[in-house]
Amino acid sequence: MKRTGFVLAAMITDYFNYAFSHLTKRKLRSWLTMIGIFIGITSVVALISLGQGMRDAINAQFSGLGSDKIIIQGSGGGFGPPGSFTVDPITKDDKEVVDGVAGIDVTIGRLMRAVRIDYGDETDYEMVLSVPPDRKAIDLIVEVNNIKMLSGRMLSPSDKNKVIMGNAWIEKKIKLGDTIFINDKGFEVVGLMRKTGLPFIDGTVMLPEDSLRDLIDVKEVYDMIAVKVTNPKDLNIVTDRIIKALRKHRDVKEGEENFQVQTPQQVLKTLDTVLLAVQAVVIGIAAISLIVGGIGIMNTMYTAVLERTREIGIMKAIGARNSDVLTMFLIESGLLGMAGGLIGISLGVCLGLIVEFIAVNVSAVPVNASFSLFLILGALSFSFLVGTLSGVFPAMQAARMHPVEALRK
Amino acid sequence: MRFEYLGIALKSIMERRMRSWLTMIGIFIGIAAVVALISLGQGLQKSISDAFAALGTDKLLIQPKGQIAGPGTQTSTIQFDQSDLDVVKHTRGVEEAIGWNVRMAEIRFNDQTRFFYIGGIPTEDNAENKLYTEISDHKIEEGRDLKSGDTLKIAVGYSLAHDKKFDRNIRVGDRVLINKKEFEVIGIYESLGSPPDDTAIFMSRQILQRSLELGDTIDTIAAKVSAGEDISIVEEAVKKKLRNHRKVEENKEDFSIQTPEQFLQAFMTVLSIVQTVLVGLAAISLVVGGVGIMNTMYTAVLERTKEIGIMKSVGARNYDIAVLFLIESGLLGMFGGIIGVLIGMGLSKLVVMAAKAAGYGIIQAFFPLWSIIGVLFFAFIVGALAGALPALQASKLQPVDALRYE
Repeated sequence: MKRTGFVLAAMITDYFNYAFSHLTKRKLRSWLTMIGIFIGITSVVALISLGQGMRDAINAQFSGLGSDKIIIQGSGGGFGPPGSFTVDPITKDDKEVVDGVAGIDVTIGRLMRAVRIDYGDETDYEMVLSVPPDRKAIDLIVEVNNIKMLSGRMLSPSDKNKVIMGNAWIEKKIKLGDTIFINDKGFEVVGLMRKTGLPFIDGTVMLPEDSLRDLIDVKEVYDMIAVKVTNPKDLNIVTDRIIKALRKHRDVKEGEENFQVQTPQQVLKTLDTVLLAVQAVVIGIAAISLIVGGIGIMNTMYTAVLERTREIGIMKAIGARNSDVLTMFLIESGLLGMAGGLIGISLGVCLGLIVEFIAVNVSAVPVNASFSLFLILGALSFSFLVGTLSGVFPAMQAARMHPVEALRK
Repeated sequence: MRFEYLGIALKSIMERRMRSWLTMIGIFIGIAAVVALISLGQGLQKSISDAFAALGTDKLLIQPKGQIAGPGTQTSTIQFDQSDLDVVKHTRGVEEAIGWNVRMAEIRFNDQTRFFYIGGIPTEDNAENKLYTEISDHKIEEGRDLKSGDTLKIAVGYSLAHDKKFDRNIRVGDRVLINKKEFEVIGIYESLGSPPDDTAIFMSRQILQRSLELGDTIDTIAAKVSAGEDISIVEEAVKKKLRNHRKVEENKEDFSIQTPEQFLQAFMTVLSIVQTVLVGLAAISLVVGGVGIMNTMYTAVLERTKEIGIMKSVGARNYDIAVLFLIESGLLGMFGGIIGVLIGMGLSKLVVMAAKAAGYGIIQAFFPLWSIIGVLFFAFIVGALAGALPALQASKLQPVDALRYE
């Protein structure tokens, strides 16, 4: 007997009605089964949305760097600010070599050093950054770090013994025109920056390169060189040119460079990989509860098959095929999973928003929960899949029942 | 009487074998995850505190502030030198003090260049060397340790000699270029189980200072307090003398003094938080497993309505029925718990083996008895709690209604 499309459609509607009526009949059991699923979906959705939000925030920060910058540092491995573990530091000579490479708009040499800062009656130990005496370079620093002044001004090329400071220093009672002491030398605060919410920028202290060189007695070395290329399309070509030029200048073989040339995108990629791995572990552990929830569905479905043995026998006796019985039970378990998923997604979204609210308002950490359509559809189809998969064995058991045996029970 | 209950509960569990298994799987997955995470966390805490215990309770670690990225960070402008070490050495209550340097260096071997940490350590045959040996826990596996008079000699960490950090492993007698200067390998250390230590190269501090042109800069100072002295009093004394020597005011010190315990405490706090979060996430699946038990028990009550009616009509009290079902659900939880503990222990052993293969011998599995008993008890409680509502429902059935149920 061949079934027409119309009959098929009617049958599928019937299957759904059948599954639905059974689920509502055993209300308590259906609820408990769905709770098993939605607890897991809630935690997974909340964790993914917060993790995604964090990665988005970091991406946004890096995107300020644009796709036309290159960063050059000495090699040495280890984690930390540029220059921390350098063996062969980058020097003024190296910067000149980079300056000579074709396709470069601006190069900036920078120093980052930890110093003692005395202000008022307080003492802090912080990193400070140098600003080169070059208008174009200063403009680029402003652009890259998205520096906006709250009061005062940015450093200018002719400044000596002046500093600008991040917003966090305002909370430490620093005012425009104050004098602070860096390693015992006085500096005048000529600018204070707007709040960005990023600790690294808000805590920053920038001072003229020459003043910092006098302070730490470093003549030739740079901790990093930042480059802006003329045409973003040439980024990779210019990167290669810089590597070749520096290799030649520093007399090292290919593959044994004692310097690193990276684009911010490469740095971001490394950072993102680490974040992704942490996220995967956390979500993996939370997802264990989804497996347990799936086993709950399987259990419920086995019980349903057992309870309805006679019913299955009757259906088969009047012509239901194995595949019909199979489909009916699969739809039922799939519905259980999906309904659990729907509730779980709603609760997960709420949980994510609550965490975001607490993080922003109580601990002032800029966390954004991010709910992509992909996440919501993904969680929904995943919960449907868990439901259906968990129903496979019970449904097969039901489908294979012999009508006579089933009716005799 | 009670044993009878147990028998009835066991019989019911065996009767619905498939359902009981699935219910228990729900519990033991969660328990296995929790046990594995707890045992690995405890193991890590134990091996770290053992390592610190080797330092003893009579040591002080003194570091300049501003070494944001750790010891030897070259961008710090605040540094110690020999005079600071001498000041610490001559403080009352300090038996001995040593200084060392840790730097990154360019290592050339087998025509390949790599970057590794090098440590400059006291090698003179005196009290300083004795104190360093006491602190570092370094043991020679092959060759000999550094000794006084060694100039262009180095001893290398375990991984450099075993894990093909270069295409060829370094052996005793090999020659290695460090920042383009040739050194001879005279010893290989046993593994300390942590990659940064096991890939480091060690030489005399004076030689390191000379080859890297560090002058007499010292990165870290460690002091041993004389027997019978109060460590906190000595700590204050060292702080005061260094303050005077470095001409800084009180509470504005440009250095920090920590005892290994304080160091350990800070580390353990972080570790505990991470562990709590992970175990908490894993425990979500236990809640789900508990809900599964509840579901199974409701089904059991439903299926046995008639049975309950009969029991009640022959004299069973509400209390008896409730206890019967509670025992059944508690047993489900506990059996799930026992299997879960076993699987969890196996799982953590596997992780330890994998970690060891990756060079992290410091990761150990540790199963304190309290945690195993606690987990089993917890599993029983989860089972019994999950069974509470169904058991209550069963106990409140009216015998007449129950008997009438089809």
